[in-house]
Amino acid sequence: MENLVYIALFAPFASSMFAALFGMSPRQTFVGIVASSLLFISFVASAILAYHVYSTGTSIHVTMMEWISAGDLTIPFGFLVDQVSVTMMTVVTLVSTVVHIYSIGYMDHDKSFNRFFSYLSAFVFSMMILVMSDNFAGLFIGWEGVGVCSWLLIGFWYHKEDVTREENPSISPSWAANEAFIVNRIADLGMLVGIFIIYWNVGSLQYDVVFADLPNLSSSVLNAAALALFIGAMGKSAQFPLHTWLTDAMEGPTPVSALIHAATMVTAGVFLVIRANPIFSMTPEVSFFIAALGTFVAFFAASMALVNRDLKRIIAFSTLSQLGYMFAAAGLGAYWIALFHLAAHAFFKALLFLGAGNVMHAMDDELDIFKMGGLKKAMKWTYIYMGLASLALAGIPVFAGFFSKDAIIETAFNEGTYVLWAILVITAGMTAFYSFRQVFLTFHGDERYKEAGIHPHEMYKFVLIAMSPLAVLAVIAGFFMGGFQEFVTKLLPNYEMSHHTHELIWYLTAIVLVFAIGGIWLAYKKYAKGLKRDEKLENSFVYKLLANQYYIPNFYEAFITKPYAMISEMMWKNVDMKIVDATVDGIAKLIYKSGDGSRKMQTGNLSNYLNWMAIGAVLLLVVAALSAMLG
Amino acid sequence: MDNILSVLVFFPAIAGLLGFVVHKDSARAYGITVAAIEFFLSLWLWFSFDSANAGMQFVEMIPLIPDFGVSYYIGVDGISLFIIIMAALMTLIGMMSMSVTKNIKNMIITLLFLEMTMIGVFVALDAIIFYLFWELSLVPMLYIIGAWGGPLRVYASIKFFLYTFAGSLIMLVGMLFVAYVYHNLTGVWSFAITDWYALVLPVDYQLWLFAAFFFGFAIKVPMFPFHTWLPYAHGQAPTIGSVILAAVLLKMGTYGFVRFSLPMFPDASVMMITPIAVIAIIMIIYTAMVAYAQKDIKQVIAYSSVSHMGIIMLGIFAMNAEGIGGSVFQMLSHGIVSGALFMLVGVIYDRRHTKLMSEFGGLASVMPKYAVIFGIMLMAAVGLPLTIGFVGEFLVLLGFYQISPIMTILAGTSIIIGAIYMLAVYKKSFFGPITNEANKTLKDLDRKETWSLVPLVLIVIWLGIYPKPVLEPIDNSVKAMLVFMDEKAITQEAKDMIRVAKSSKGGV
Amino acid sequence: MIGLSHYLIVSALIFSIGLIGVLRRRNLLMLFFATEVMLNAVNIAFAAISHYYNDLAGQMFAFFIIAIAASEVAVGLGLLIVLYKKYGTLDLDDLASMKG
Repeated sequence: MENLVYIALFAPFASSMFAALFGMSPRQTFVGIVASSLLFISFVASAILAYHVYSTGTSIHVTMMEWISAGDLTIPFGFLVDQVSVTMMTVVTLVSTVVHIYSIGYMDHDKSFNRFFSYLSAFVFSMMILVMSDNFAGLFIGWEGVGVCSWLLIGFWYHKEDVTREENPSISPSWAANEAFIVNRIADLGMLVGIFIIYWNVGSLQYDVVFADLPNLSSSVLNAAALALFIGAMGKSAQFPLHTWLTDAMEGPTPVSALIHAATMVTAGVFLVIRANPIFSMTPEVSFFIAALGTFVAFFAASMALVNRDLKRIIAFSTLSQLGYMFAAAGLGAYWIALFHLAAHAFFKALLFLGAGNVMHAMDDELDIFKMGGLKKAMKWTYIYMGLASLALAGIPVFAGFFSKDAIIETAFNEGTYVLWAILVITAGMTAFYSFRQVFLTFHGDERYKEAGIHPHEMYKFVLIAMSPLAVLAVIAGFFMGGFQEFVTKLLPNYEMSHHTHELIWYLTAIVLVFAIGGIWLAYKKYAKGLKRDEKLENSFVYKLLANQYYIPNFYEAFITKPYAMISEMMWKNVDMKIVDATVDGIAKLIYKSGDGSRKMQTGNLSNYLNWMAIGAVLLLVVAALSAMLG
Repeated sequence: MDNILSVLVFFPAIAGLLGFVVHKDSARAYGITVAAIEFFLSLWLWFSFDSANAGMQFVEMIPLIPDFGVSYYIGVDGISLFIIIMAALMTLIGMMSMSVTKNIKNMIITLLFLEMTMIGVFVALDAIIFYLFWELSLVPMLYIIGAWGGPLRVYASIKFFLYTFAGSLIMLVGMLFVAYVYHNLTGVWSFAITDWYALVLPVDYQLWLFAAFFFGFAIKVPMFPFHTWLPYAHGQAPTIGSVILAAVLLKMGTYGFVRFSLPMFPDASVMMITPIAVIAIIMIIYTAMVAYAQKDIKQVIAYSSVSHMGIIMLGIFAMNAEGIGGSVFQMLSHGIVSGALFMLVGVIYDRRHTKLMSEFGGLASVMPKYAVIFGIMLMAAVGLPLTIGFVGEFLVLLGFYQISPIMTILAGTSIIIGAIYMLAVYKKSFFGPITNEANKTLKDLDRKETWSLVPLVLIVIWLGIYPKPVLEPIDNSVKAMLVFMDEKAITQEAKDMIRVAKSSKGGV
Repeated sequence: MIGLSHYLIVSALIFSIGLIGVLRRRNLLMLFFATEVMLNAVNIAFAAISHYYNDLAGQMFAFFIIAIAASEVAVGLGLLIVLYKKYGTLDLDDLASMKG
């Protein structure tokens, strides 16, 4: 079994290195095939491990070697395969394999095809380290590793020029990449602080040691650690106020958005909360904060998705919103439900993104859904896939999202946090609306793309086949909920609805469903027949506020980015040059000037010198006399 | 070979003297050969070094002025060992990548002399010998900047020389005073640092002496507000000068703190934690912001050096094995990474004869190999895990967290603002469309450049993944030093502050 | 009765005259004379104090000074002649080649 752990972990690494070998040579299809096969091997290994953990109920713990050891600190490269990590491993490798195969088709015409696979596999490797590590420092390696890969992949088309925010809200891929990296670094500082707190209070960073020692810690330490770790999670999972990078990250190639910015990396924050659940279960205040923030973000992101016109950004906002749901569940203590929603979301959201990629491919990279419409004829399979994924996202019964999301909403009710519950229910309706607004605007109604002279075509067949596992899972994943609960609650604390909630469950479900179906119906009414633009609405204040993301990016630019640049400039030109350096030069000048001034004494006239000498002698005499007098 | 240290110190100098008779066409090959031999000797030193022994090894002692206790006294421990190896390595790599063609023979000879002084500083165990090498190291650098530098080279080199010289004179006064006190207490003269360690000084003496040494070291580091010579020196120095300056010469200052200030003045050091940490945090944040405002790539890296040296300073005053060990490791890491970054800037300067970022843009398209290596070094500079930069920075911040969480968070912003300026440089130079015609025909790294950079990339990754061979000897020596400091400290608050690792084995 | 203090006062007066000569005169030859005057003022003081303490060392010093002053004059006058031959003047205001 140990070997399988290493295979699962290092197959993506091998894939990345292999692709890197050809990184600077022209497109080679076999690079994509080899990379995908290695990813598939990793998936198989993960699946076998999952079965092993499931059937035996034991976890596998391997320690590869020592990494850092200084003072009393020892950090090994250790890997832990238990119920939680094996779930993540399976989800990550499955989605990654699909995305790799998909990319062979999607990146077909890109000259940096090989480089793309190198980055993509490197990302999977980092993600595997993140989920498999048996200590917080190892988690941090993966944490930063996925950050860098995300930077590389968002900025994959680095050669594009910067444009104004009005023209493209993300400015340019390289700008978006830097934004993502820097915003994540802000959160990473929080994470590092969390690690420091744990180390100085426990003396170790190993999960098992830390969790065993938690009862000995004071509640202020626990709160601080939980809060710091959650700040780390906020960055990776793009929670408010660190959320702006996620939508800008859509500048990356679509497979990247599917894999990194929907299915895997952004869920790392949720994973962290689930992984460190012993800490969070002991800090109810922080946990409630997490739940409240998650609920807020769910609503907040969904509201922005309502009016957006960019196909990928809508899905990005929905990702943000669903991450909010996951945090709400995790914050309320329903860790296994959060993890279940994480997995289900990974399937249908990746499918949705890959479908969006198909549309982009067909529409010559056009993303404005107002310029699409009626694509269902040309792209039947993509339509079906995206439809299924949207049904799952909207939480329509039978589909995966129904089970997981409904469970989260019920949890909010069960915990007695009715405000959160109400917001989550409303958000569910909004989710249904924007998902189907997008589906209808893209695939139904009049064929507006004809104006631009685009001839859409369906994606390659192998790509569509590769997407099918996700489609199947998006439909059926919900049925495994019971088994999943039994599986992961061996490790995670179980969470059951109270008797009271159980009695009301049909009403609760019905309320959610009314909202969801209502949302779809509204979208159908408004958009299925064709696009009728409502000038008055589009010019209204609320619409503009939502379309401009509450002006938060502009706010950040005006109050953080620009002042930072200005202060830096001032620090350099005024402080460093005019004060610090000028003082140093001033001292040097003073010495020089005093020399220059006293040079005049050197007249060359012996008589003058003798006068000076006499004055000196007299002065010395006076000094001698004075010192004699003063004793 | 018992006197390997003497060989290490004087071999380059003797070879440098012999270099005068070498023909100028073969001077370069000669220099590289000598530097390579020196580097292998330093590796051999590591090989024969006993990692388990925390004390001084390969000690040599020849009395020079017995009446005043001055002797030729040298040795290495885990703290200095790797800085010596790094000095030899960076000299070798610097020579390999060197693009200077004017007066190449003089350059080679100067570099070999410089190598002697650098290694001399790190092996010296006698204050006078230390001071001798410390000051001598200024001369070759003055010559390198002044003779091969840019348009402002004379101003820059004189500023560098006088500034650091003024600081070290104050340090010399401090040294003489320590020797005087030693003489008063014991009746014999001694300049041996190991003898001085045994000296228990009253707190007010410690404070004054700490201040005297502080000026010498702080200007060299350079600590805020004594840092302004550095951007000029880097801005005007030829690539090789910047590489050596950033990689090795700056480390003399921080090494001085570890070698002198901490073990000799433990109480004063503990009292000075807060002021020094404040300065270090100013260095980290302020210079990182200044770096962001720069237009010239080399200046960005010069200011980033100051910022990183702030991290090192912070770690030294963490007073625990994690922080100090991390600091020493960060010295190596910064040496290699900043050296490599300066070499990389040199590469583009050789091609375009400008270092202004506005002249570039889109270089990743025409120089992919260059962009990859630059990217790796950049990531190491911002402290990405599994690169050499992370280990030191992580340990330093971890170590200092015990002293003050708030200050650690402030210092920790370096991982954010470091990323800001580094990524801004990368974006401005490498990303975007190629707007400048002159950049369209640039050649990627040639063989010489590749071969000098790839070893550094390998080291950056190797020590990021497996730092143990280096970290272990450092850790042993640091732990021993802490035990010693704890025993020696006279005030209770110093004893409380100095945290002896549980896994320590015993005193020096 | 003429005591030690009288001698010392005379010596100081003569010394002051010499000093004023050194400070005020511009001619090198005159400077020489003035220094000779100062030296002899010191000689008077030496001799007087030597007598007062009954210690012959002071008078020996005076002799030494006389001898050295003589040789100094010999060398100095030689130099002055060379200087005069070269520049045609002994006025200090014209001999300022060391001006900084």
